[in-house]
Amino acid sequence: MSNWERLVWNQREVLLKGFLVTVEICLIAFAIAVVGGMLLCLVRLYVKPLKPLAVLLIEFFRATPIFVQLMWVAYVWPEIFGWPGTFFAAGCVALGVQSSGYLAETFRAGIEAIPRGHREAGYSVGMSPPQVFRRIVLPQTLLASAPSIVNQFTVIVKSSTLVSVITVQDLMFQALKLVTVWYEPIEILTVTAGIYIGFVFLVSLAGKTLADRLRLRYGLAAA
Amino acid sequence: MHVESGVDAVPAIRVVDLHKRFGTLDVLRGVSFDVRRGDVVSMIGASGSGKSTLLRCINRLETPSSGEVYIDGEPMGHRGQGDAKARSLAEINMMRRDLGMVFQQFNLWPHMTVLGNVIEAPIRVRGMSRREATALGEECLARVHLEEKSKEYPARLSGGQQQRVAIARALAMRPKAMLFDEPTSSLDPELTDEVLVVMRELAADGTTMIVVTHEMGFAREASDRVLFLHNGLIEEEGPPSQVFGAPKSERCRQFLSKHVQ
Repeated sequence: MSNWERLVWNQREVLLKGFLVTVEICLIAFAIAVVGGMLLCLVRLYVKPLKPLAVLLIEFFRATPIFVQLMWVAYVWPEIFGWPGTFFAAGCVALGVQSSGYLAETFRAGIEAIPRGHREAGYSVGMSPPQVFRRIVLPQTLLASAPSIVNQFTVIVKSSTLVSVITVQDLMFQALKLVTVWYEPIEILTVTAGIYIGFVFLVSLAGKTLADRLRLRYGLAAA
Repeated sequence: MHVESGVDAVPAIRVVDLHKRFGTLDVLRGVSFDVRRGDVVSMIGASGSGKSTLLRCINRLETPSSGEVYIDGEPMGHRGQGDAKARSLAEINMMRRDLGMVFQQFNLWPHMTVLGNVIEAPIRVRGMSRREATALGEECLARVHLEEKSKEYPARLSGGQQQRVAIARALAMRPKAMLFDEPTSSLDPELTDEVLVVMRELAADGTTMIVVTHEMGFAREASDRVLFLHNGLIEEEGPPSQVFGAPKSERCRQFLSKHVQ
């Protein structure tokens, strides 16, 4: 029996279980990042009195190393806010808020790049500011930001390998556990790296395909 | 040409002593004029004379510093009938739908099809059903001779076609008047004609229009009245035959000698 069979194939269920946890964390963190990023961006642009707070949060989320963020959300937030209650939730939140800081800036750039005339055209046919935002500004912003949004998802996937430090049992956690059981890192870690590379590659490919298709549809030049 | 009785005595658009300051710069310094229903008024003048600002003040994309604009006798800036309270943004939005605006840069929404651009406001603002709005949209696109392009996206159209879609989009709100802000200035010369043809047809149909333009041919042939603006004031005004044929103002004469071949 080769090492590959013993250490990888026979452990496939453990690795798969870990991978599914990784996927789950990444999807939840991504949802938090997109929604949170849009909220931070909107507050920063349109809610004057809260703008300094939004800027502070964006800069704080972006400037904190993800390792510190994970520790801080997992061990400090429950003491101060009584939340999150599980390490899994803490992992999702920490990954999500960090990316929300980056996406907030991506969205802001997208919104500011829309010509003023597009909004004026909306106002001139009697649309209200919320209608103009929802129907004209938001779709164009998401379209323009699509590549960055996908890219941010891949960042989340890569950062998610650190959630094992707060004992979340993701793919990296399971891989490290197998290594410590068998003392055979070569095959296990190589396959683990391969899974991450494949995952990130597939996500990037899907994102690029989607972005190209949208650009083609709207007659914009391919990136 | 016009019967000055009853309802028709109220001008479609009345501008009274309009001033607009940007910081220390006086762009409009007291402009007053009336546009009767069905009239086409062309505004000419050098760059920086205040033409575009005047047009943008009429539908309140710019807020005038003072003065008032009346649409069918209704003041834009405050509630009428002795109520001097300023109108809310929502009320101004309501009134804006009566003024169709066509921009120099077309400003079509690139993520919507041609038809989508045209029916957006009828659906969202007028509350029409999609079916109703589509029928209306196709009718408006036919008026600008683009019915076959309804499913295209704006980026696939020429500048002239885009501007005609923008005209159809404004028409779809069935406005009381159309405002054109240099509609052909960003078009290649060979594309301006198709836009001017549509504008002449609208004028012939009795559409009330204010047109800021550098197209002296259009101003001369298609308008009922021409205003020449200089330094934020109306320097010369009258029927095209008079403004182009025998201008009283020296500045107007100089301007025309430079711009009319």
